[in-house]
Amino acid sequence: MSESAEIDTALLQADFDAQLARPVSNTLFHVGAAIVALSLLLMVIGPWLTPYDIGRPSDEIMQPPPSLSQVPGLVRQMLAGAPHPAIHWLGTDSAGLDVFSRVLAAPRADVSIAVGANLFSLLVGSLLGLFAGTARPWVGGLTMRISDLVQAFPVFITGMILVTLAGRSNGTIVVTLALLYTPIYIRLTRSEVLTQRHRGFVDAARVLGKSEGWIALHHVLPNALAPAMIQASVTIGFAILMTAGLSFVGAGVRPPTPEWGLMIAAGADGIVQGEWWPSVFPGIAISITVFGYAAFGNGLERRHAR
Amino acid sequence: MPDNAPILAVRGFSVAFGANRAVNDVSFDINPGEIVGLTGDSGSGKSTLGLGLLGLVRAPGRILGGSIAIEGTDLLRLPEAERRARRGRQIGLIVQNPRGSLSPLHTVGQQIRSVLRAHLTITRPQAKLRSVDLLRQLGLNDPERRAQAYPHEISGGMAQRVLIAMAMGAGPRVLIADEPTSGLDVTIQAQFLDELSKVSRQAGSAVLLLTQDLGIIANYCDRVLVMEDGRLVAEDRTAHFFAAPQDRYSRRLLSLAQLSPPPPPKTAETLLAVHGLSKAFLLRGSGKRLQAVDRVDLAIGRGETLGLVGESGSGKTTVGRCLLRLIEPDSGKVMFEGRDLARTPLATLRQLRRRLQIVFQDPLDALDPRWTVGRIVSEALERPSVGRIAELLQLVGLDPSTASLRARGLSAGAQQRVSIARAIAADPALIVLDEPTSALTPLARVGIVTLLRSLQREFGMSYLFISHDLNTVEQLSHRVAVMYLGQVVEVGTREQVFNAPLHPYSRALLAAHLAPDTTDRRIDRAPGAALAGEIPSPVDLPVGCYLASRCPNVQEPCRTTPQDLQYLPDGRAVRCAPAAAL
Repeated sequence: MSESAEIDTALLQADFDAQLARPVSNTLFHVGAAIVALSLLLMVIGPWLTPYDIGRPSDEIMQPPPSLSQVPGLVRQMLAGAPHPAIHWLGTDSAGLDVFSRVLAAPRADVSIAVGANLFSLLVGSLLGLFAGTARPWVGGLTMRISDLVQAFPVFITGMILVTLAGRSNGTIVVTLALLYTPIYIRLTRSEVLTQRHRGFVDAARVLGKSEGWIALHHVLPNALAPAMIQASVTIGFAILMTAGLSFVGAGVRPPTPEWGLMIAAGADGIVQGEWWPSVFPGIAISITVFGYAAFGNGLERRHAR
Repeated sequence: MPDNAPILAVRGFSVAFGANRAVNDVSFDINPGEIVGLTGDSGSGKSTLGLGLLGLVRAPGRILGGSIAIEGTDLLRLPEAERRARRGRQIGLIVQNPRGSLSPLHTVGQQIRSVLRAHLTITRPQAKLRSVDLLRQLGLNDPERRAQAYPHEISGGMAQRVLIAMAMGAGPRVLIADEPTSGLDVTIQAQFLDELSKVSRQAGSAVLLLTQDLGIIANYCDRVLVMEDGRLVAEDRTAHFFAAPQDRYSRRLLSLAQLSPPPPPKTAETLLAVHGLSKAFLLRGSGKRLQAVDRVDLAIGRGETLGLVGESGSGKTTVGRCLLRLIEPDSGKVMFEGRDLARTPLATLRQLRRRLQIVFQDPLDALDPRWTVGRIVSEALERPSVGRIAELLQLVGLDPSTASLRARGLSAGAQQRVSIARAIAADPALIVLDEPTSALTPLARVGIVTLLRSLQREFGMSYLFISHDLNTVEQLSHRVAVMYLGQVVEVGTREQVFNAPLHPYSRALLAAHLAPDTTDRRIDRAPGAALAGEIPSPVDLPVGCYLASRCPNVQEPCRTTPQDLQYLPDGRAVRCAPAAAL
């Protein structure tokens, strides 16, 4: 067998695989986009969709969710409009609150914190990245070292310090996460700026007598933003996870706000006694959301690369 | 089988990608010892045909039918295992991008040996001897040592020769070479093709040479096939093809070769004068200096085109960028409209710069992907208006409706026209054209050359035309400067440099130049004036003349005395004391 022919067939096979892989990644992208859209929708209207009051405790403490065999019967009853006992689809927690309602209402806190922190980091990070990429080399280098320093600080410690200093509020978490993510956007934007500044159209603008500042804002920045925007989608997903994590350790959202991390923390004690539902369902909600943002970001990246 | 039967006989061969027939009912023969050129514009189906002849198709394409008979056996009727055994042994392929085709993890010797051992029943030591022997036949000096090199340790020209060794190693009867010299410098290109034709003639094998370069066809091929939209539209003997092309595509391509020289400029006034321009780059890490431009003197008259030629790494692009201060020169003067641009403060320069414009090699990279064509052109206008943009687009041969499109949607030729429109919108006195036709298909190249000539006729601006493509330089330039290792080694009128070059380097460069002309075919003559050895590293330049180590007429003082540009009575200048004394 000829080696060159062998290499060629390998190349062809890779080509072929790429063709096959495309529809799968497209499906993932659409699933991701749907999850992202749903999470944003729930952020806005979630608290109004809840079948039960999310704040008022009831007597129905630690009711398990209906078993799978009961579900069809319950659905039929509901559709028929017949009088039926109150259904807690995902059970109730130790305070008698409906888990399903709280899972639906939680994106108001989780998603808005994650999106807010990322929009803030994207804005600040891309401008600082543009500055670091266009300034004199030593100024740019200094900016990068400072951002390394910020990034190297453990996020949970930062969160706890800020909570101690400024109190426990959504604003504190946004600041904590923004500090964590801004360096990522600085780095991404800077490296892209460094490539874009030497593109032909940038030199052409210089030759046309445009100032460096004008070029940076009109040519370099708009073309350098794409990777940061794609990163934002993935990072928002992880920011949701991080918000839940901070809340879990007590450096996050203040109870009794419905929030996935708080719900997991509150239900954690019951798991050993077999009362799994107050923790597991918010956990599943986090997983689906993080996966959705990651799949959406991944799809965006593929589309951009093409 | 009779001796005069063709080695390769293709009949009714078709390859389809969906409903689109990339290769459509193609039939031809190649006889023993024959080199056949296959040409056509990009997308005409040449590469698909080349790969298809090995029974390979890129997904999702498929072979629709036909036959590919090699010495009487139809490759397409064989089972896959048998077909694979014959690839490489009976039919070999040389692809573009030699370095990308070699595995970076194995030495070139190992890679040649693996081909030999796959097709021939020989022992390991025999394969080793044979691979070294192949490299020696291909003109590599010290083949034992070269065989132990990894692909990144050898030059592009050597990598290409390793690929020939791999393709020819098992002695295939048919060799398919797909643009084997694209990206190589002219001197290396000529060397490579000399070796390829020699090896194939000796072995009596059939060669199908896929190329867009009519110079290669004129100089090396016995017959020509022309493809357009997947069909063979012409088949002819080479001499007859160039004398009287039969099809539309070839006629348009060849029309450029028959262009008259550009009319001389109206005045003898000097527009730009460069004296002693130098630029060195500090190499990161090692602290070494790379002398990219070394005491360059140039002059361009108003309305004149100066062609700047030289091989890759000779510093031509750096010169162009230094003139515009896109790179800051270390020293030297750039006198333009009464000012020294090299000493003008950047703030003042910003105003002056519009008089000097540039068109880049990569047409897509030169246009902001987020902007529409209209906005790109209006960037150069001080008072933009829809009417003026439409006027400029028409001037470069584009429809005014192009203004609403983005660059990505245009062909490379149209993208380059947008760049030209932007450059002339600033009303420049001089445009630096940095390899503007290198990334284009032959037809688009014809279009751009014709456009540049007509714009110069109309507006009288000057061009600095930087290119390694001597054919295009000949069609555009009034005068030509030749660069070697950062220095200008010869300047003269187009006729002086092309017809009677003085400097040994210019002579070697022009000897390697393949003109699309069949009167003095390179394959029929002994290659003359070739330079020995490799180009010295620009980091570690010789003391005396930079060419001394390779020059055929080197004299003892050359090795120790640096050479200066000497101006001769007939107006030309040459950086070679012995040549100037003649």
